[in-house]
Amino acid sequence: MSHVIEMLHIRKEFPGIVANDDITLQVEKGEIHAILGENGAGKSTLMSILFGLYHADRGVIKVRGEEVRINSPNDATDLGIGMVHQHFQLVQTFTVTENIILGKEGSFVLDRKSAAKRIKALSEQYGLSINPDSVIESITVGMQQRVEILKMLYRDAEILIFDEPTAVLTPQEIDELMQIMRNMVKEGKSVILITHKLDEIKAVADRCTIIRRGKMVGVVDVASTSQAKMAAMMVGRPVNFKVAKQDMQAGKPVLEVQSLRVLNNKKVPAVKDFTLAVRAGEIVGIAGVDGNGQSELVEAITGLRPAVSGAVLLNGKAITHASIRERNEAGIGHIPEDRQKRGLVMSAPLGSNMVIKEYYRPPFSKNGILKQPVIDKHAQDICDAFDVRSGEGILSLAGKLSGGNQQKAIVGREMALEPDLIIAVQPTRGLDVGAIEYIHKRLVEHRDKGKAVLLVSFELDEIFNLSDRIAVMNSGELIDVVETKKTNEEEVGLMMAGVKTKEAAR
Amino acid sequence: MRVKSNAFLIAVSAVILGLIAGGILMLAIGSNPFEGFFYLFRGGLMNMERVGNTIATAITLMLVGLSVAFAFKTGLFNIGAAGQMLVGGLCATLVAHYVFLPRPFYLLVIILCAFAGGALWGVIPGLLKARFNVHEVVATIMMNWIAYWSVYYFVPAYLKGPSLETESKSIAIEQTLRSPWLTKIFGGGYINLGIFFAIAAVFIIKYVLDKTTLGFELKAVGSNRFCAEYAGIRVNRNVIISMMIAGGLAGLAGMTFYTGYSRNIQIGVMPSMGFDGIAVALLGASNPIGVLLSALFFGMLQSGKGFMNAMTDVPPEIADTIIATIIYFTATSVLFSRFWDSLGKRKKKRLDAKREASAKEAGNA
Amino acid sequence: MKKALYVGLMVLAIALVMVSCGKKESATATTPAATPAQVVTQPAPAAPAAKPAAKLKVGMITDAGTIDDKSFNQGTWEGILKAQNEGIVDAKYLKPSGTTEADYLKEIGNLYDAGYRFIITPGYKFETSIYEAQDKYPSAKFVILDGEPHTADYATFRTEKNVVAVFWAEHESGFLAGIAAALQMKTGNFGFIGGMEIPAVQKFNWGWQQGVKYANENLGTNITMLAENYLYQGSFDNVAAGQQIAASMFDKGVNVIFAAAGGVGVGAINEAKARVTAGKDVWIVGVDVDQYPDGMLPTGKSVILTSAMKYLDRASYDMIKHELAGTFPGGQKLNLDATNDGIGIPVQNPNLSADVMAKVQELYGKLKNGEVKVADTQLPGLFK
Repeated sequence: MSHVIEMLHIRKEFPGIVANDDITLQVEKGEIHAILGENGAGKSTLMSILFGLYHADRGVIKVRGEEVRINSPNDATDLGIGMVHQHFQLVQTFTVTENIILGKEGSFVLDRKSAAKRIKALSEQYGLSINPDSVIESITVGMQQRVEILKMLYRDAEILIFDEPTAVLTPQEIDELMQIMRNMVKEGKSVILITHKLDEIKAVADRCTIIRRGKMVGVVDVASTSQAKMAAMMVGRPVNFKVAKQDMQAGKPVLEVQSLRVLNNKKVPAVKDFTLAVRAGEIVGIAGVDGNGQSELVEAITGLRPAVSGAVLLNGKAITHASIRERNEAGIGHIPEDRQKRGLVMSAPLGSNMVIKEYYRPPFSKNGILKQPVIDKHAQDICDAFDVRSGEGILSLAGKLSGGNQQKAIVGREMALEPDLIIAVQPTRGLDVGAIEYIHKRLVEHRDKGKAVLLVSFELDEIFNLSDRIAVMNSGELIDVVETKKTNEEEVGLMMAGVKTKEAAR
Repeated sequence: MRVKSNAFLIAVSAVILGLIAGGILMLAIGSNPFEGFFYLFRGGLMNMERVGNTIATAITLMLVGLSVAFAFKTGLFNIGAAGQMLVGGLCATLVAHYVFLPRPFYLLVIILCAFAGGALWGVIPGLLKARFNVHEVVATIMMNWIAYWSVYYFVPAYLKGPSLETESKSIAIEQTLRSPWLTKIFGGGYINLGIFFAIAAVFIIKYVLDKTTLGFELKAVGSNRFCAEYAGIRVNRNVIISMMIAGGLAGLAGMTFYTGYSRNIQIGVMPSMGFDGIAVALLGASNPIGVLLSALFFGMLQSGKGFMNAMTDVPPEIADTIIATIIYFTATSVLFSRFWDSLGKRKKKRLDAKREASAKEAGNA
Repeated sequence: MKKALYVGLMVLAIALVMVSCGKKESATATTPAATPAQVVTQPAPAAPAAKPAAKLKVGMITDAGTIDDKSFNQGTWEGILKAQNEGIVDAKYLKPSGTTEADYLKEIGNLYDAGYRFIITPGYKFETSIYEAQDKYPSAKFVILDGEPHTADYATFRTEKNVVAVFWAEHESGFLAGIAAALQMKTGNFGFIGGMEIPAVQKFNWGWQQGVKYANENLGTNITMLAENYLYQGSFDNVAAGQQIAASMFDKGVNVIFAAAGGVGVGAINEAKARVTAGKDVWIVGVDVDQYPDGMLPTGKSVILTSAMKYLDRASYDMIKHELAGTFPGGQKLNLDATNDGIGIPVQNPNLSADVMAKVQELYGKLKNGEVKVADTQLPGLFK
C-alpha cells in the first residue's frame, strides 16, 4: 500500500490546550480521505501542520514515503500539497487567470495567454467549467471556490486539502463539488476532506479518520460504516438525528412581514418586498445561502435595523418603527446569529447576562436599584432548566463558557421570556451534536406550547428537521414558501439558487 | 469584590515594576535609587503637613481617576478631564466669589455648580458621539482647548485680580474648601474638605455601578454595545449619560483643585492632573476603590518628588521623568494583565499535567 | 471588601515605616557621628555663627518654564551658579509641579526641610507664597525678583526683615532697545510679541514703543508701528505659537520683532533664522538676557539685533554676596534701573554700528541723570 501522506504520532500543544495528541493520519494515493471531528477537535490544527502553518511539537511527517520537514506553505506547495481554505484568498478585482498566476508569474513579462490556455485545459480536464477571463467579484461563491481549486492544480498539487468546503455552498453546488473531487481522484490526485458533516463523507469519501478532543478515535471504511456509528465515534456516545415532532394545527398569525424592504450596510437593498407570516404553533424555516438577506430581514424584524418600507406586525399590531425594547416587551425573543457579538456580554457574569432584557423591571429591580438575590435566583433557574454548565455557576464570566453552554444560556434566557415569537438564527452553529439535539428539542417544545418560531439556518438538514414550512430566500427575495412534507432537499436547493419551483417544473 | 480577584495583585506588581523602572533611571544618571526612594516617600509622608499635602494632591487625582474610570466602564475614553476640570473649576470659582451662604448650603451650591460645569463639558462629546458618531477622544481633546481658551478669555474679563492679567483674583480663605480644623490637624497642609467629597464620590459611583439599573446599562454598553443594543438598551442615551457623569466628576476635581488646593484659576495652564487621572484609572483597574488607592499612591509620588529633589543630586527635570516613568510604567504594566494571566495559567497547566502524570504512574505502580 | 481592607492596611504600614524612619534619622542627626549635611537638616535653634564654616545653601524655585528658558529662570540661576562656581555657596533649584501658590509653598518647604536657608524666587507669581513663607520660615531668607510679598487679595503688602524684593525698570530697558533698533534700521515696521500680559512684560512693551517714538521724533528715523503687530501670545512656553505669530508678522511686512516672551520668543527667533537663511532681512530683539548666541546662524551671524536686558544674574549674585557679607538688605524693596546699572542693552552688540552704540550710550546717560524719562504705564497713544 502506498501512502502518499503519513503523519505519525503528531502532537501539538498551545498554551492551555493540547490540540493534537498522538494523532496518526495515513492517506493513500488516489483516495478521498475524510477527517471527521466536532468543532475544536483539532482537525484544522492537524492540517495547518501539514500545510506548514504550524510546527508539530512531536511526530513525523512523511510524503511519498520520505520524511520531510514542512516549515512554510511554500515548502508544502513544493511537495505538491495544496489547500483550499474556508476563506478564499482571492483578489476581488483581478480575473481568474490573474489570481491563479499571482505569485507564480514566472518570467518578468506576463504571459497571460498561455497561462489562460493552460487554465482552460485544466478546467475542462476536471470539469470545473471556469472562464479564465471572468473577474472574481462577478462570479458566485461556488465558482470562486473552484478558482481556489484551480490555483492548486495549476501549481501541480498532488494532494489537495479541503477545509470545510461546503459551508458556503448550495446543495447543487455541493453535489458538483463532490463530482469534482471524484474527477480529481480519477486523475490520480489524493484528497483530504475536513468536515463535520456526515452525509458528505458518506457521499464521497473512501476512508475516514475520526478525531475527538485532540485524540484519534479511529479510521473507518466509509462504505461499511453507518452514519450513526461515525457520529457516535465523533461525539463519544450514540446520537439522535431526528427530533420527534408531532403534527400540529397552526393558529392565527403571530408575525406578519408585509412588503418589507431593508438596506444593508452598503445602502444596497438586501431585503426586497418580502412578505411572510409565521403562525402560532408552527416553525417556519428560512432557507438560503449565507448572505442572501436573512440577517437584514431578522434585524429589521427585531429592530436592530430600520425598514425602508413595508410593515412588520406582531399579533396584529404594527411594530415597524417600535424600539427594540418595545418589541422585546411585545413578545419577540431572539437567538442572535452571532452569540459572541450580540448574544452575551462576554466579560460580564452569567447572572447579569440572564437578565439583560429584564433587569429594569420588577421583580429584578425597583426604583432603579437592582435586586441581586432575585436576579441570581432567576439566572440559577435558567441554568438549571437548560443545563448550562460553567465553572463558577452564575458567577462565571460568560466568555469562559464553552460555545454550547453559551448558546444554551441564550436559548434559556429567551425561552424564559416566554415570547410569542422566537427568532432563532443559526441556533446550532458550531455546536457539538449533543448540544444541537438539545436546542432542537427546546425549539420544538416552544412550538408545541402554541408559540411561533422563525428559524434561519444555512444548514438544510436543520431546516428540514425542524420546520413545518420552509421559506426560501435568494438575494433578498422570497422565492417561495413550501410545506416541509411536500418538498425535498433538491427542490429547496434549486430555489436557494434562485430557481422558482414552477419554472423548474416546466 | 467578586470582579477580577487578581486586579489587586496586578496593581501591586505594576507598582513594583514602575518603581524598578524609576530606580533603573536613577541608577542610569548615577544616583542611588534607595536613597532616592527613601526621600521620595519621606517627602510625601514624613510629617502631618506632608501627609496632608499628599492627600490634597490625591483628592483631585481621585476624582479625575473616577471620571476616567467611569467612562471606561461604558467603553469611552474620556481624555477631556482637563477641560472638564477647568470648566468645573471656573464655575466653582464664580460661586466662591459671588455666593455667600451658610457653610452647608454654600458647599452644596458649589458642588452642584462644579458638577454641572464639568457635566456640560462632558455631555457635548457624548452627544456628538451619540448623534454623529464623532469619536469621543477627538471631541474631548477639542473640548479641552475650548475650555482652555474660554478660561483664557473669561478670567481676565470677569474675574481679574487687582493687578495680574494671568490669574483670577484670589478666593477669600473662608470661601475655599479648606477647613480650619483640617488644616490644623495636618499642620498647615493643603488638605481640604474635598477629601470627603472624593471619598463619597468613590462610594456613590461604586454603588451606582454595582447596584443600580443605570450601572447595569452603562456596563453592558461598555462591555458589548452590540449585545446591549440587542437587549433593547438605548446605547446612545447611555453614552450621553456616561459622559455627563464622567464630566461632572472631573468638574468636581476642578473644584477641589481651584477652590481647595489652589485659591485662584490661572489662564494658560492646562491642568496636568486631567491626564494623570488616566493613569490613576488604569492602575485602579477602573474600580472605584482601586482608584481611591491608586490616587493616594500617585498623590504621594507627586507630593514627595520635590523633597527627593532637594535631598539628592537628581536634577528636577530627571525627577519629573522618574515620577512620570513610575506612573506610566505602573499604568501600562496593568495592561500586561493578560500576560500575567496567561503566565499563571500555563504554570497551573504544567502543575496539573505533572500531578496527572504522577497520579498515573502511581496508578500503574 | 476584604481586599480593600488589606490594601488600606498596607498603605498604613508604609506610612508608619516612613514616619518611623523619619524619627530614626532625626535621632542619628543628634549623635556626634552625624555628617554636616544632616546637621543642617536639623531645624537649628543655635545661632548660625556658631556653626563652623558650612557653606551657605542657596535654593531657587523655577517659575513657569524651564531652567534653560534663555530668560527669567536662566538669568536668575546663572547668578547663583556664578556664586557656586566661586565656591562660596551650594546651590540647588527645584521645579514645582504646577504654578499655584500651594505648589510654590510646597517647594519652599522642600528646600527648607532639606536645609536651604537662602531661597531665591524669580517672578511675581511668588508674591503670595513669599508672603506666607516669610512668617512660616523666619530663619530662612528670601529674595523675590519682580515682585513683593502681599496677601492674595492685595489688601496687605508686607516685606519682612528676611525678605528682599527686587524690581527692574523694564520700560527703560525696552526704551533703550527701541532706540537702538530704530537707529540701526532707520526705516521699517516694528512689532512686539509678549508672553503673558503681566506687568514686567507690559513695561517692556510700553518702553519699547516709547523708544521707537522717541527716535522717530528726535533722531530722524522713520519707523512704522501698527496696533495689529503688538500682541501677547498668552504663555511663556509655546514655541510653535511664537513661530507662527512671528511668521505672520514678517509676512505682513514687519522687519523687527521685540520678543519678550520666554519660549514663545524662542519660536520667533527660529522663524527669523529661517527667513534670514532664505535671504530675508528680518531681526529679533531679545529680552532679559543677551540673546545674541540664541540667534546664531551657521554663518556666524545672529538674528538678534540687540537685547533689552535686565541683569537678573547680577541681582541673584549680589544678594548672595550681601548675605555672606552680613549686609542682606532685609525688608527692602530694591529698584534696579539705569541709575544703578540694573538694566541696559549688551555692551557688545555686533549687529549695531558704533554710531548707534554711541547714541544709545548718550541716551543711557540721559536716563541716568533724569533728563529723559520713560513711563511704566500705557501712555495715551501706546498700544496694549
